[in-house]
Amino acid sequence: MPEYSVVGRRLPRVDALEKVTGAAKYGADVHPPGMLYGKIVRSEYPHAKILHIDTTEAELLPGVRAIITQADVESGRKVFASDKVLYSGEPIAAVAATDSDIADEAAGLIKIEYERLPVVQNVMEAIQPTAPRLHSDETKDGPSRRGIRNRLKQLSLDESEGSSEEIRTLETELETLEEDVYYNISAETHTEIGDVEKGFAESDIVVENTYTIPRVHQTYMEPHVSVASADSSGKVTVWASTQGPFAIRSGIAGTLGIPLGKINVIPTIMGGGFGGRFGVTMTHVPAVLLSQKTGRPVRVQVTRKEEFLDGRPAPGCVIKMKTGATKSGGILACQALAFWDSGAVSGASIGSTIRVRGVYKIPNLKVDAYGVYTNKSGTTAYRAPGAPQAIFAAESQLDEIARRIGMDPVEFRLKNMREEGDMIPGGSQEPVIGYKETLKAVADAAGWWNRDKSHNQGWGVAVGDWTNGCGPGGVYVSIHEDGSARIFHGSMDITGTDTAITQIVAEILTLPYERVTITRGDTDSAPYATGSGGSVVTFTMGNTAKLAAEDTRRRILELAAERLNTEIDNFELRDGKIFVNGADSPKSISLGELAAFSLNTRGGPIVGKGSFAQQSSTPALAAQIAKVEVDAETGRIKVLKLVSSQDVGFAINPMAVEGQIEGGTVQGYAWAIMEEMQYDQNGNVNPGLVDYRVPTSADLPTVESVIVEVPAPNGPFGAKGVGEPPITPTLATMSNAVVDAVGVRVNDLPIKPEKIVAALHNNGN
Amino acid sequence: MKKHLVSFTVNNDQYDLLVEPRKTLLAVLRDSIGLTGTKEGCSTGDCGACTVTVDGKSVTSCLMLAASANGKAIKTIEGLSSGSSLHPLQHAFIDKGGYQCGFCTPGFIMASKAFLEENPNATEAEVRHALGGNICRCTGYTKIIEAVMSAAELMRSARQAR
Amino acid sequence: MRDFALFEPTTIEEASSLLAENGGKATILAGGTDLLVGWKEGIATPKSVVSLAQISGLDSIAYDENTGLSIGGMTKMRAIEQSSTIRNRYTALAEGASEVGSIQIRNLATLGGNICNASPAADTVAALLVFGAQLEIASTYGERTIPIRDFFVGPGESSLQHGEIVTRLVCPPRPDNSGSHYIKQKIREVMDLAFIGVAASVELAHGVVADVKIGLAAVAPTPIRATDAENILKGNSLSESILEQAASAAAEQSSPISDLRCSAEYREDMVRVLTKRTIQASAARI
Repeated sequence: MPEYSVVGRRLPRVDALEKVTGAAKYGADVHPPGMLYGKIVRSEYPHAKILHIDTTEAELLPGVRAIITQADVESGRKVFASDKVLYSGEPIAAVAATDSDIADEAAGLIKIEYERLPVVQNVMEAIQPTAPRLHSDETKDGPSRRGIRNRLKQLSLDESEGSSEEIRTLETELETLEEDVYYNISAETHTEIGDVEKGFAESDIVVENTYTIPRVHQTYMEPHVSVASADSSGKVTVWASTQGPFAIRSGIAGTLGIPLGKINVIPTIMGGGFGGRFGVTMTHVPAVLLSQKTGRPVRVQVTRKEEFLDGRPAPGCVIKMKTGATKSGGILACQALAFWDSGAVSGASIGSTIRVRGVYKIPNLKVDAYGVYTNKSGTTAYRAPGAPQAIFAAESQLDEIARRIGMDPVEFRLKNMREEGDMIPGGSQEPVIGYKETLKAVADAAGWWNRDKSHNQGWGVAVGDWTNGCGPGGVYVSIHEDGSARIFHGSMDITGTDTAITQIVAEILTLPYERVTITRGDTDSAPYATGSGGSVVTFTMGNTAKLAAEDTRRRILELAAERLNTEIDNFELRDGKIFVNGADSPKSISLGELAAFSLNTRGGPIVGKGSFAQQSSTPALAAQIAKVEVDAETGRIKVLKLVSSQDVGFAINPMAVEGQIEGGTVQGYAWAIMEEMQYDQNGNVNPGLVDYRVPTSADLPTVESVIVEVPAPNGPFGAKGVGEPPITPTLATMSNAVVDAVGVRVNDLPIKPEKIVAALHNNGN
Repeated sequence: MKKHLVSFTVNNDQYDLLVEPRKTLLAVLRDSIGLTGTKEGCSTGDCGACTVTVDGKSVTSCLMLAASANGKAIKTIEGLSSGSSLHPLQHAFIDKGGYQCGFCTPGFIMASKAFLEENPNATEAEVRHALGGNICRCTGYTKIIEAVMSAAELMRSARQAR
Repeated sequence: MRDFALFEPTTIEEASSLLAENGGKATILAGGTDLLVGWKEGIATPKSVVSLAQISGLDSIAYDENTGLSIGGMTKMRAIEQSSTIRNRYTALAEGASEVGSIQIRNLATLGGNICNASPAADTVAALLVFGAQLEIASTYGERTIPIRDFFVGPGESSLQHGEIVTRLVCPPRPDNSGSHYIKQKIREVMDLAFIGVAASVELAHGVVADVKIGLAAVAPTPIRATDAENILKGNSLSESILEQAASAAAEQSSPISDLRCSAEYREDMVRVLTKRTIQASAARI
């Protein structure tokens, strides 16, 4: 590996000082003069008709400046519910007042009359004909009817194949399968490779189970907030805590019919996102509407409770899964039927069901996935959206097969893992990958090969894969007369990406890290940058920044050639200086001198730019091993050891990379063990941080992170996306460890103590 | 309703404020005084982002009425460093990478400060337990705990040096 | 939060008369850690609030070999948890106090508040039941003392009358040959509410149980004593079979509900498991 001086080092982050001194300004820290406080009025019921909205009393409260409902939305696009609510917490109106307590009080004084409608919260009930319909009466075929219809379609296209007799048989069969239809379907996706029935028939062992994965909230620590200020010219300024300021700009433009150029989004520092802070969400549009109506800046900040009622959490789902293998440990077939809980809005990550294929050679694969409407808030991305759910099912099945055939679960996985050049089921060929290296690394680090355990202790292993996304981005680099460099861009820093970008630019320009600074512009000033999610930033903006730095270097060398009157090829940029190669009398010029010179001559300021378009990256694997101890009487689980390895391509900043691995692993642990949004006929019943449990430091041991580096051919310095992979295997890691400890498998997450006790009782213990 | 005259010091500065009884200490620190380093993460005392010290003891400022702070000495994250000289906890959080999004960091640092001043020789298990009132969603806690343990050592040596 | 009038009396008398003057509309504010949450969410909207914080002498901890332990109603949970007297002699109470929220919460929350909320899941109450705490209550009508066992009426309901203030708790002295312990069943190590809480106090003489008290939290409409289990244990040595019998009797005496945290069946089962463990741990401390 080449010697680098800035990338690959554990440097302190560029935002270190402001973060530890309280100086960092987050969304709720923005307070323009004359600012009003907004509050959203929300539905009390999960499913109801709105009969009447009475704002009279609220309007009379001193300090109230505006109350808005859907009638105030001139574009006509839905911002507030006006005739029907589909989940409790759905916005119906919003208030602006001179004080946050007055806004709260006014919101409470708005009287809404409802007519309650039947509620459905469970996906398996929602698909039944007896379920209340959320959007329409339309049905979708189940997998059996779909299969017959597909065959019929094929027969009608190709007359030479099959006979009229087959068509008649199929049509009769179709009639008998009248009930194989689902209601309340928001979306569907189907994949079929090979012949799973044949695969199962040839298998020595087939495991089949239903896995239930709960809806969980991203629980970023900063609740959603934005401040909007609309001036008399129609210009709208929005301070937003967001993963993607440019998406906020287009979202507001699209919703409210405001020209893009009249909206400036100023991103504030973001208190966590994990996918939940993408696009126009709870606060942006109401803040703009309230500001337009009052002519004053308005801050809309939601409470933690509102986050649970109207946030966009990760979808829960039910996955029926079946895997077949030979006694010698070869996987032959894999089939999954998944029902994803979309809530009241279409958009659950159903496409991720295909991830049940994992990183294994699977000749026969069939995946049918449906999104299902229920009376809950909609869902959105959460760190590798959809993958933890699908991988939990798949990696649980593999663990069960390994146990049944008596093969070590790590060996079993290694035996089946794809390598470079293998076909990805339903995809392309595997590029250079590090699946086996990553699994071996975690096994070695955890002491898997000579693992010991006491009574009620167990070891679990699982792996999960994810490929980072990529988007367009632009970066400028300027060289100042003092020889320092400044980066200017518009992408949001999620947990260290500004630092990685700075390290990359410093490396290319051979400057010390401290001599390079970075500034984020707003959407008026900065070049477009893709949103910070999908593990894109270091890959996309890192590549962009690298291009910008290289462009800057080119310009530097051009100007130096002019200054020193020689050919460009003779130069070398080293330690922030330009040296002439091969000259008898060594000549050099510092970057500062060159920048000052070019300002006063023909060169002008030294500016480089990078503009980067989308391209695909390479898959990254996370592999984890946990050792747990289970109290067999109470069912409580204690994690004794948690080791997490990941192929990161190249760690631009190993400290930040470890932080991502550790954080993602703990989020996965929590999903397996304690997190769950619970619902009844009145809506979410645990909308707070007492009964929605996120782990604290007291629940966990040190998470040991192991960095594996199999460079991505097109990543900056070989870097791959790092943020998402570590959450993908942990649900199964934990479950598999519990099985090893007490011999019971809980397929209905979270693995609450009560479920372990019940399973042990059922086992006759 | 009648406002109350509340007098207290924040980071050694004296404040005499007329506040509505319903205003929490957190609201007054952030909105009236403008010290926004203290964060509001849940407003129900369950996340610890609003941790400040009152007469040296850590409290969730979202669950304390400002009026109840009358006569007290309050310290917030802004009062921890003097000029460019950082507190050992601040140094350690930087060096060990003990923060990511940073929203929980002021609360963690203030809670750690109060705990370490009372328990300078705390073990890792004790620190993990003592910081259970502070939620971090980014780090998985490993680097936070490393930072606090390293700061404890720095604080011990500083004490010995004095 | 709705606006309210805040009163900060400096004496119990003044506080009592303020409460009397404001009729049913006044709320007593102690540590505020539970009340403020309810006010913020609009569950309660008091017009007047009487804070007890300025009354001196309500936050002291004192121990006397003859009269026992005396704790002021405004004593912070953190002070109880850290008191060496309570840790040594009333261990289950220190353990119960240390289970309340976080350190930050325990620096605000008071013992009086934890009791007066009358939550069936209150972490200190199971211990106070086994220590036979007496509550001293003041009002404009004078003072009264009631055993904590008679204080709770139902979930969130106590026998505290409007205008009354719990000023002090008194627990009788502890015999030397006794030990106590509190176990809380939870999912998170810290910051969880009790799924089930069991406190026990065991006094041994010549290898047999001279006296035992068992308090159960979160398994009935109010915190309760598992008296049937106590009777089984008294006069016996702590053999495995006696412990099993007692534990089953405690489970039998509980009447838990199913809620979002866990099912009634699990709670009952855990009363059995934890009663046995709590007694063993209490005895081990002697």
